[in-house]
Amino acid sequence: MAIERSARPLARCLRCTRNAHPRAFSASATSRLDTQPTPSESESAARPPPPPSDIPKARRDPNTVSTPAAERQLFRDQKIHPIGSRRRRAAIASTGTIPFSQLPYQCFQEARAFLQEDRKEKVQLVEQQRERIAKLKAKEVAPQDEAHKELRLESMKTRLAELKVMADINDPVVKRKFEDGEGDMTKPIYRYLADKKWRSYKREVLLQRIHQMNIIPDVLPVLDPIVSTKLTFAGKKVQHGDVVSSLTSAKPPTLNTQAYEQGTKLYTIAVVNSDVPNVEKDGYEYRCHFLACNIPLSPTNTLVPFDRLKADQVILPWLPPYAQKGLPYQRMSIIILAQPPVERTENSPSQPLDVAGIKDAGRYAERRNFIMKSFADRFALKPVGVDLFRTVWDEFTADVMRRAGVPGWDVEFKRKRVEPLPYQRKGSERYR
Amino acid sequence: MKTPSTALLRTLSPLCRSSALPWTARGCQAAQQQPSAPFSSTTRQRARERGGEKRDMRITLIRYHLQHPLTPRPLRFSRDRALRHWTIHRAHRLHQTRLQADRQATLERQYNSMAAACEALRLVDEHGLTETERTRLGCEREGHGKRGRLYRIAMRKDGVWEGVPIEYSRIQTDSPGREGWNHGWTR
Repeated sequence: MAIERSARPLARCLRCTRNAHPRAFSASATSRLDTQPTPSESESAARPPPPPSDIPKARRDPNTVSTPAAERQLFRDQKIHPIGSRRRRAAIASTGTIPFSQLPYQCFQEARAFLQEDRKEKVQLVEQQRERIAKLKAKEVAPQDEAHKELRLESMKTRLAELKVMADINDPVVKRKFEDGEGDMTKPIYRYLADKKWRSYKREVLLQRIHQMNIIPDVLPVLDPIVSTKLTFAGKKVQHGDVVSSLTSAKPPTLNTQAYEQGTKLYTIAVVNSDVPNVEKDGYEYRCHFLACNIPLSPTNTLVPFDRLKADQVILPWLPPYAQKGLPYQRMSIIILAQPPVERTENSPSQPLDVAGIKDAGRYAERRNFIMKSFADRFALKPVGVDLFRTVWDEFTADVMRRAGVPGWDVEFKRKRVEPLPYQRKGSERYR
Repeated sequence: MKTPSTALLRTLSPLCRSSALPWTARGCQAAQQQPSAPFSSTTRQRARERGGEKRDMRITLIRYHLQHPLTPRPLRFSRDRALRHWTIHRAHRLHQTRLQADRQATLERQYNSMAAACEALRLVDEHGLTETERTRLGCEREGHGKRGRLYRIAMRKDGVWEGVPIEYSRIQTDSPGREGWNHGWTR
């Protein structure tokens, strides 16, 4: 049995701890001991032991000494007290090579056996569900029952995805890998865990920012982010909604997206400034700073460098964001839109947009007055992700505008003075 | 309530804890301590002989309740230990969930079989025959009133509140009943 097998090394080493090499185990101990190299198993086996007279004084590890003599020696030579109980130290000395899942703790091993049993059941259920789905797909139904069949298939697939996650969610190894950031995003369990983590805090923050800064009604009427984003300007991370110096944002950023749904899909990314002043209108309008289509993204293919996209993907290249002098901050929202699937089936590829056609038509190839909602509606795009940063006038903005060839770097906006209404003295009979 | 264990308390030395004592407990402590003669070694001697002085149980209990924290100390585990703890916890939760599901399934089964039994009683007549059985056996049909006598008897609620206080005779609910008080009620 697994427990007995895994318990044996502990027992063995408890019997002969005196012969075991003192080994560095924990991080705190290695820092003290790393000056002296530890002989590896094979090395010590190959070389005959040196004569007892020239054995250098072995440095003891306070985490692994477990005999009274060794403890005394530790205190005498190194002036360190051993750490923890003798039982614990003996266990540490003997169990360093045992993998985590085989650690000889009875309750732990029984719990693992129970969870493994449960996992087997879940895997069986997954198989069963797959068979059922195949059977239902193969079944011919009357045309009036098509919708019902589709609905059933949909719910069965949801159940299947749920079961796949449930099979692995109780595995400590999976949990450890995910916490270490080594999760394989092609597997549903890691995608599920990452999504849960994102939704637990970062998505909340993002939603708060886009609501507080009124991105939601101003740029798009509704937006439910399901793709998480991280924005970096030349390696510098930008929090959602942060004010970015115009010099930093003069270079195109890199967007690190994380889709949590399986499969590669095509996305459109647009950067819209929703606070461009319009003096004639005495109001604000929109400007598109960047627009690119047909960007393939998947849970593992996440990086979108705005400057290294292909020419047939980019409709509008990066225009450095700027806010002229005297203006309040301007919100630059980065919207990720999913392109519609070719057909309404599972794993259907996305429709590529006709970039040349859009450029020729000119309606959405113009930066001025780019209406996000109209664009999304025109090409049936579904907003799935958002990121946000702000830009204000600073000491670099004039330079940035001049270099980008944008007119108006020497313009300063002033608030219109509101003339007070003339005071009119009313008839004296009113003041009594 | 179970009397809490004083094992923890007995290990606590009165010297190191006295500063944390609230003022209400200081009198107790003073009464408990022997008037100390600085050059006498009797107390210490006695402690050596008999393993500590005897304390009043009441003082021990008061101290326990004044000083013992209500919240247990937080679990501080190493990575592996925490993961092991988590694994065991998950297995325990899974086991509990299964037990609960089993219990729920048993209840459902019992309820359903009881409902089926009642339905069977409702369809049965004086001779234990249903309508379909009668037609099959060729017996003459009986009137509707003859059927379901056993069902009616089973549904009677006579005496179910016997021995139960009158306050419980209506199922306790959050809001008052539709008719507030039945003034015409007599026993």
